[in-house]
Amino acid sequence: MIQNPSLLGRRKKREIARTALLFSLPALFFIVVFIFYPIVNSFWISLHSWKGIEPTMKWAGLANWAKLIKDKSFFNALKNNLKIVILSLLIQMPIGMALATLLDATGKKMNAFKIAWFLPYLMSSVAIGYLFRYAFDPIFGIITPISKLFGGGAVDLLGSSTNALYTVISVICWQYTPFYMVYYLAGLSSIPTDLYEAAIIDGAKRRQYFFRIVIPLLFPTIRNACILSIVGSLKYFDLIFVMTEGGPFGSTELMATYMYKNAFQSMKMSYGSTIAMGMFFIITTVSILLLFVLTRKEKDA
Amino acid sequence: MKKVLAVLLTVTMVLGLLGSVAMAEDKIKITMWHIQDDDNAKVIYTDAAARFMADYPNVEVEVVDMQNDIYKDKIAIAMAAGELPDIFLSWSGGPMIEYATNGIILDLTAYMEEDNYKDKFLDAGIAQGTYDGKIWGIPGENVSAALFFYDKDFFAANGFEVPTTIAELETLADACLAIGVYPFALANLTKWTGSMYYMYLVARIGGGSAFDKAANQIDGGTFESEPFEMAGEYIQKWVKAGYFNDGFNSANEDDDIARWLLYNNQAAMYLMGNWAINTTADINPDFLDKMGVFAFPAYEGGTGDPDAVVGTVGDNFYHIAASCENPDMAFKFLQYTLDDTAIATRVAIGKIPPVKGVENMITDENLKQVLDVVSASSGVQLWYDQYLPSSVAQVHLETLQAMFGLAMTPAEADALLQEANTEALSE
Repeated sequence: MIQNPSLLGRRKKREIARTALLFSLPALFFIVVFIFYPIVNSFWISLHSWKGIEPTMKWAGLANWAKLIKDKSFFNALKNNLKIVILSLLIQMPIGMALATLLDATGKKMNAFKIAWFLPYLMSSVAIGYLFRYAFDPIFGIITPISKLFGGGAVDLLGSSTNALYTVISVICWQYTPFYMVYYLAGLSSIPTDLYEAAIIDGAKRRQYFFRIVIPLLFPTIRNACILSIVGSLKYFDLIFVMTEGGPFGSTELMATYMYKNAFQSMKMSYGSTIAMGMFFIITTVSILLLFVLTRKEKDA
Repeated sequence: MKKVLAVLLTVTMVLGLLGSVAMAEDKIKITMWHIQDDDNAKVIYTDAAARFMADYPNVEVEVVDMQNDIYKDKIAIAMAAGELPDIFLSWSGGPMIEYATNGIILDLTAYMEEDNYKDKFLDAGIAQGTYDGKIWGIPGENVSAALFFYDKDFFAANGFEVPTTIAELETLADACLAIGVYPFALANLTKWTGSMYYMYLVARIGGGSAFDKAANQIDGGTFESEPFEMAGEYIQKWVKAGYFNDGFNSANEDDDIARWLLYNNQAAMYLMGNWAINTTADINPDFLDKMGVFAFPAYEGGTGDPDAVVGTVGDNFYHIAASCENPDMAFKFLQYTLDDTAIATRVAIGKIPPVKGVENMITDENLKQVLDVVSASSGVQLWYDQYLPSSVAQVHLETLQAMFGLAMTPAEADALLQEANTEALSE
C-alpha cells in the first residue's frame, strides 16, 4: 500500500522534531536549572529585604532598585568597568593582532615565541593575582628596588587610588592579550595563501594586503573578539578581587566586586541581588546592541 | 524491545547511584570548619577527630581548615545556600546574634549545663558566647588582646624604652624614623589590622564605654563625637609623619608582610592580637626569644581608660548549625576538641585557652604578660568589626582604610559610620 507522500513528509518532520527535542532536553534542563532559574530568583530576591540568613524574606517592592539608581558607589564601579572595557580594547586588540600577524608571517620559526607568549593565559587568575600582589609589594616586591636603583623612593602601585586601577588593567592585559593573539592567529591561518599570492602578483604591498584584504576578511573574528572582550570586562571579578579587593577606597571597585561585598560581606543579600540584576541588564543591553550594530555593518559592507 | 532494555538500563543506573548515596549515610557524618590553619594548630583538630573516631567508630568526622578571611567569605556563601557544616565558628558579637535570632545555630545551653560543663570555661568567655540568656557559642580558642610586639634586642641596642603614654610612643616613633626604621608594621588591606589602632585610641581617649554607647545609641552616644574624631586625627597625623610602613594599605596580613617587617627589624612595633605569638612559633620560632610585648600606651589628660583591652575571651566561638542532623554527636566531638589533651596542645603552641586555671599552665613570659593585661582590665572590648552588625562593620572597615589612606577626613568617616549604624538599628 502506498502512503500519501505529504503525510509521510509530515510524519518525518514530526519525528525529527521529536528527536531534536529529545536531544536538546539535557542541555535545556541544565540551562533552566543553572541559568534561567538563578536569574529569575535573583530578580525575585531583589524585590525583597533579605540579609541572606533569615528563614523568610520581607517584601520590599522596588526599594532596592530605587536605592541602586541613586547609589554613587555603583556608578563609580560602572565607571571603572567602562575604563577596563576601553583600555582592554585599545591595548589587547592591537597587540594581539600585531603578535598574531608576526607569528603568521614568520611561520614555524617563531614557535618558541608562540608558546612563551601564550603562557600567561594558561595560568589561573588567582595565581596571577597572588604573583603580582607579591611582585608589586612596595617593600618586598620588585618595583621599589628598581625605583631605588634610579634614585626614586618606595613605589606603592596597588595602594594608591590613582594608580591601582591602571596597575590592575595592565595585569589584565598581560593575561588576556595572548588569548586574542591565538584567536586572531586562528583567523589568519584560515585565509588561503592563494589570496596573498594573487594580491602580490597584482602588485599589492604588504601594508595594502594587510589593511585591504586581511582586516576585512577578519572582520567577523575581530567583531567576536571585541564582544568577548567588552562582555568579559563588564563582568570582570577574579583578578581584581585577589589583588585589591576593590580598594583602596573603591578606586578599583567593579560592579561584580561591589555585588559580592554587599551580598556576602555586608550580608545584604537582597541588595547584592539587585546589583547583580543591574549588571545583568547592562551587560545584556550592551551585548544585544553590539551584535545588532556590528552585524548590520557587516551586511552593509 | 531494544527501547525497553535501554530504559531498564538507565533506571538501574540511576537507582544504583541513589543506592550508593543511601548506603554512605548509614554512618553518622560530622563536618567541621575551622580557621586554625597553622601547621602546629591544625593538629589539635585532626588529633581530636582521630581520638573521637576511635571511641565512636560509627561516626565519621571531617575537619576542614581554612584561612581566616577566606573562611569569612565561604561561610556567608554556605549560609545563603543552606549548606552549612555541622560545626562552624564565629567571633561572637553581632554576627552570632544574627545567627541566633534567625535560627541558624542551636541553643547550646542544655548541653553546656549538663554536668556543669560550662564551668570549665572562663566566665567572661561564656558571657561573650551568650545572647538573650542562652549560650550559643563555646569559647574555643584563645584569650586574645591586641598588644604591641617588639624586638627586645633591637630596643636595647638602640636605647629604646617601652612607652607608657601616647606622647612617649610618638617620641619613640620619631626616634625610629631617625634611624631609618618604620615605627609601626601594618598590613591594612586586611583592614581589621588598622582598626586595632583606632579602637585603642578611642578607648584611651574616651573610655571603654564610648564605643558601647555609640554602637547601641544609648546615653546620647554617637560615632560623631570627640573620641572617634580624635582617634581618626591621631591616625592621620601618624600616617603623614610616616609612622607606618610604605604601602601598608595594599599589604595583606595573610601574606605575613607586617610580621616579616618586625622580624627583619625593618619596623619596630607591631600591634596585633596575641595569636602573633603562636604564628611566630610557626613561621619564625627563632624570633620568640627576642619578642617582647607591651600594652597600648595611656592617653594623658583624657577621660579614657588606660587599662581597657581590645580583644576577645575565646577568639573563635564554636556553633552547631541548626541543620545538623546529630547535634548530640557534634557536641561530643566539640568536647574532644576542648579536652585536656587539646587544651595542653593549645598552651604548648602559645595560646591562652579560655578555661579556668589556665594561669597555672602557662610558662611563657609573653603569654603571662598578656594574661596579666587582660585580668587587670575592667572588661575586654570585642573587636568592632565583630561586635557590630555585618553591614555596619563593613562600613567601619572601609571608612577606616580610607582614613588611613588620607582619602577621607575623620569627620566624614564618622558620619558614614553613624548613618550605617542608625540604618542597621532601625531594621
